[in-house]
Amino acid sequence: MSEAPAPLRVLIVDDEEPARQLLTELLADEEGCDVVGECRNGFEAVQAVHGAAPDLLLLDVQMPKLDGFEVLELLDPAPAVIFVTAFDQYAVRAFEVHAVDYLLKPVSAERLHAALLRVRQRLAGHEAPPPAQALARAARPGAWLDRVLVRDGEKVHVVPVARVDYFEAQGDVVLLRVGAERLRKATTLNDLEKELDPSRFLRVHRSYILNLDRLAGLELYAKDSRVAILKDGTRLPVSRPGYARLRSLL
Amino acid sequence: MLHPLLSRPRALGPYLALWLAPGSLLGAARAVVVPGDWRPALAITVPLCAIYAFVCLGAWYPALANPPAVGPTRVVGVQLAAAGTAAALWLALGRWWAGVLAGLLPDTPRVFHDLLPLLATAGVLFWLLAAAACYLFLARDAAHQAERQTLEAQVLAREAELKALRAQMDPHFLFNALNSVSALVATDPPGARRMCEQLAGFLRGSLELDRSERIPLGKEVALAHAFLQIERVRFGDRLRFVSEVDDAAAAVEVPPLLLQPLVENALKHGIAHLVEGGTVTLQAKRRRDTLYIIVDNPIDPDRPPSPGVALGLENVRRRLQATYGERALVVVETRPERFRVELRIPLQPPAPEGPAAAASPAPPPGGAGGEG
Repeated sequence: MSEAPAPLRVLIVDDEEPARQLLTELLADEEGCDVVGECRNGFEAVQAVHGAAPDLLLLDVQMPKLDGFEVLELLDPAPAVIFVTAFDQYAVRAFEVHAVDYLLKPVSAERLHAALLRVRQRLAGHEAPPPAQALARAARPGAWLDRVLVRDGEKVHVVPVARVDYFEAQGDVVLLRVGAERLRKATTLNDLEKELDPSRFLRVHRSYILNLDRLAGLELYAKDSRVAILKDGTRLPVSRPGYARLRSLL
Repeated sequence: MLHPLLSRPRALGPYLALWLAPGSLLGAARAVVVPGDWRPALAITVPLCAIYAFVCLGAWYPALANPPAVGPTRVVGVQLAAAGTAAALWLALGRWWAGVLAGLLPDTPRVFHDLLPLLATAGVLFWLLAAAACYLFLARDAAHQAERQTLEAQVLAREAELKALRAQMDPHFLFNALNSVSALVATDPPGARRMCEQLAGFLRGSLELDRSERIPLGKEVALAHAFLQIERVRFGDRLRFVSEVDDAAAAVEVPPLLLQPLVENALKHGIAHLVEGGTVTLQAKRRRDTLYIIVDNPIDPDRPPSPGVALGLENVRRRLQATYGERALVVVETRPERFRVELRIPLQPPAPEGPAAAASPAPPPGGAGGEG
């Protein structure tokens, strides 16, 4: 490393002003670091990453709207990430999503410096950024998914699963039906099925996962073929294995 | 241990009066069986029974020395021997007394001679009755003691439970606060110093509360204010709070750190999830014999209440129940955009007992606090 490397473009994401201040100040003493922005929540962070294309995220975990892990899930590919939090219990999860480092608050200058060195090493090694989305999902602790994140260009929708009527596979995306709205999420029905609480969401068909709360009735439509009637009148096909699963559950 | 009757001098009078009954009855029995002058018989039996009343108190000591645990054979043997001895001594005394009375009523020694078998039987019987009474008393005493021990054990268990349930301060609050101080040191040194002072004040206060059994609610409210001031540095304008606490409510003594977990929850699970923040409302009011403590905060409708909230509240609920029993309530109200916890704490039941209850006028209904 004889030549001065290009400055590291850093985005600071934290909902607390003093915390952002501290990081900005500590980074001012570091050589070759440009703070390209500060974000107060996960939404802002997702937008800023698209706009400012930073090399590094200094990312808080607990934030309004989207937490740090959810931000990562929406960024694909994600920049290098250093988590900065007062909580040590996320460390394992952080490294599972390939965070470069994990800093505990109160942040010390030495520790931040060491973390930045690791970032430079990783970037110099041209290491491929990890598929953050898949990893964030793999790292989700035991509980069932309670909200679905959908990125729509610059916009991010946070949809509580309870509000989804059904999920529909459409080519390489999944369509979320939320009342009159339709949202497209880049995932597969198989992946979603594994994450949803099986007592509330059921794969009634190869192409449909139904929110059981919405089920109003079943109708025999032809021999061995049924349709599910939803409370709003929507009719969804129910396959034979889907019907068997439904019967065992109800 | 002294005989229970001797330790209660006032009971001695009725006890002696009780013994007049057998004294008169024994004399009367003789008068009925052998008509004639009834005076010698009564002159013998009444004073003798009065004296035997005292002699029978002696049954206490063999009873004490031979508790039921030594076995029925030994108890009966010892008391029979004691009864025989006591009756014999008593009769010797009676013979002497009859001799003394002979000067007044010449018939007396003969009458005493006639009465001898009856008196001997009565002597043994009375002693045994007295001994039985002693054993009854001892048994009742032991039962009382066992009951008291059970109660004491229950109190100890409850205290241990309360200690275990005592609210623990969230250490992350400290780490975050220190991070803020670290930031302020460069940009706002007086602010950093102020925050150090506030932090020290809060820590000292919470340690002090933690050591007390009961504290006036006002103290806890002050601690909550200190906590909110510190968190305001972190959250900035996102955190606003309103506090409405009646003087009557502030004076009520409550177990410490009931309010603190509610306020911590309001920030951690409410304000912290809101981009624009919101207002935490803290109310404490007293209506008749109930203290209401209410913490109300906005929540993010898209974020379902996390299991941590229920856990913290369960802890508060158990602490309240350990102190006040089933009459204390934790009422949780979750609406899409607000979260409200209400503690209802019964004040000491007998109204004249608590001077505060009698002195403080009931606040006008619908005063400081609104309904839901």
